[in-house]
Amino acid sequence: MEPSSPNNPLGSNNNRATEFHPFSTSTPHMLAFHLSWLSLFSCFFSTFSIPPLLPIIRQSLNLSAADVGAAGTAAFVSSIFSRLAMGPACDLVGPRVASATLSILTAPIVLATAFISSPTSFILTRFLVGFCLANFVANQFWMSSLFSNSVVGLVNGFAAGWGSMGAGFAQLIMPLLFSLVKSFNVPENNAWRVVFVVPATFQAITAVLVLVYGQELPRENHGDSKRVCDNKPKESLLEVVFNGLTNYRGWILCLTYGFCFGVEMTMDNIIAQYFYYTFGVKLEVAGIIAACFGWTNCFARPIGGVISDQMAKWFGIRGRLWGLWVVQTVAGLLCVLMGRVESLGGSIAVMCVFSVFVQASSGLTFGIVPFISNRSLGVISGMTGSGGTVGAVVTQMLLFSGDKFSTQTSISMMGLMMIVCSLPISLIYFPRWGGMFCAPYSFHQTSTDEEDYRLLV
Amino acid sequence: MAAQVLVLASILVFSCFADICYGAISFSSLHRTLVVTASHRQGLLMGGEDKITVTWGLNQSFQAGTDSNYRTIKVQLCYAPNSQVDRAWRKTEDHLSKDKTCQFKIVEKPYANTNETLEWTIERDVPTATFFVRAYALDEHDHEVAYGQNTDAEKTTNLFDIEAITGRHASLDIASVCFSAFSIVSLIGFFFAEKRKGRKAQQ
Repeated sequence: MEPSSPNNPLGSNNNRATEFHPFSTSTPHMLAFHLSWLSLFSCFFSTFSIPPLLPIIRQSLNLSAADVGAAGTAAFVSSIFSRLAMGPACDLVGPRVASATLSILTAPIVLATAFISSPTSFILTRFLVGFCLANFVANQFWMSSLFSNSVVGLVNGFAAGWGSMGAGFAQLIMPLLFSLVKSFNVPENNAWRVVFVVPATFQAITAVLVLVYGQELPRENHGDSKRVCDNKPKESLLEVVFNGLTNYRGWILCLTYGFCFGVEMTMDNIIAQYFYYTFGVKLEVAGIIAACFGWTNCFARPIGGVISDQMAKWFGIRGRLWGLWVVQTVAGLLCVLMGRVESLGGSIAVMCVFSVFVQASSGLTFGIVPFISNRSLGVISGMTGSGGTVGAVVTQMLLFSGDKFSTQTSISMMGLMMIVCSLPISLIYFPRWGGMFCAPYSFHQTSTDEEDYRLLV
Repeated sequence: MAAQVLVLASILVFSCFADICYGAISFSSLHRTLVVTASHRQGLLMGGEDKITVTWGLNQSFQAGTDSNYRTIKVQLCYAPNSQVDRAWRKTEDHLSKDKTCQFKIVEKPYANTNETLEWTIERDVPTATFFVRAYALDEHDHEVAYGQNTDAEKTTNLFDIEAITGRHASLDIASVCFSAFSIVSLIGFFFAEKRKGRKAQQ
């Protein structure tokens, strides 16, 4: 008989937790939550530890604007593939092993900044470090395995939001660490290489903690569990992947996520430079301002999850879709405005409000993802997640590489692209629950278990 | 509520214009009254090691009294055009407050009505690029009123190359290699331990 616990009073939901207590570390659910978001935090910290020091690094390596843009793009290109691969990897070996392995393998690359001496090696390093962003998919997968549908939106929002704060933390801490190292009379060219010890070590430590203390499933780890449960049909990995890839809703979310999370990542890349160069503030001050952008993730992304769950209570899936479209469009409008504001104070104010909306729309997206497919959850999460980085690559390459547009014009154009690419949300349609403009088609509640298993509609 | 929105909007709008109103001196309005030369050894100059000898003084072909309002002289190391290509953070702008051409200060001292010389060791933080030397004369309000440079108006002659210090250090390289080895070994060690635990549990 399954013993009851505070997180699981009825012993149902496959032992997944039905409540979320963010300040508890009870095993296995809440401990896994904290390990997972910390691990994701360290990956974001590592990937975005380079942008705040770019004004120094570009002088040191004699980088051109094209080199800087190429490196920023490269950081995201690698995560496109790693996120796509992480979905099936979680199905195969479990999120704990997959994410920890990736973290431990990419941590030395962060430290390899010590070896960089040319633009090519700089671009290569950023490319390799970008692989660790796949831990986002493992994080969401892990949380969906441990928490039931009633709280999964909220938990996913908190886990991803707190994890994404790593980018903001990097923007703040790296310039400060750099100043600290410089104060020991170390030349700038040396100092920026030394500070990468911090993100590398932190990433390795969190990976080890995940391996030692993490637990993937409510009762055991992935490797110990039986692979096939009684009421789940036997399927090959290829079938699961095909099932996910042929679901058009996954592709629409892939596009829209590219223009909320992708925009957020691009902003993380360019924001410190933007304030440093356009408004002439000091490097540490630019870092603080840029950090504010990342830190709103603490509450903004979870709020997106909460809004999604609340809209679902009132209007069902249609409410989730409308919520996502409204929030993302408002974010796009604010992005357009941000590129038009000429003063420092106004720019910061608009940036803060914009960050709340763009991160909330990421949370709202993952309020919809779990409902697209149950069996292919990993694949859909991977597709959506990598869509985020595709969006980052596209915006970075089109708008922030080279001298074609001024940064301010680019930011406004990015906002316009966000608005346009949010429109396809209106095309998402669930036969049983409807879409943004269309009522549900089928009112039959008697679908088989197998149908339910493939598509939660 | 509407009044508050209006106030906020007007603050935002007026702050946009503030930059234009406040002290924008343009480079094209300055007179080239100073003569500046920079001499150095032959070949590529190394940051942190090599020296440049800079001299500056008023061009004697101007009338006496031209420098009556010069209070301070500021000599700077400036990027040559070929080091500014595709690097917006080094761009030349006519408005001096936005100009990023000259980012390294060689010396700033009170103006003396004589030719002065300084031997300057290139700082360790100077990046790899092509440079020239420019001197600004500032008045008592610290506004630029005149300038001189060791190159011509198109910035094509008398340029010199500086190579930055490498920044790499053996201790850092060794630490990176050790850390990588340690990470991979502990990962492999973990997998072995898990496999052994799994085998023990099955027995």
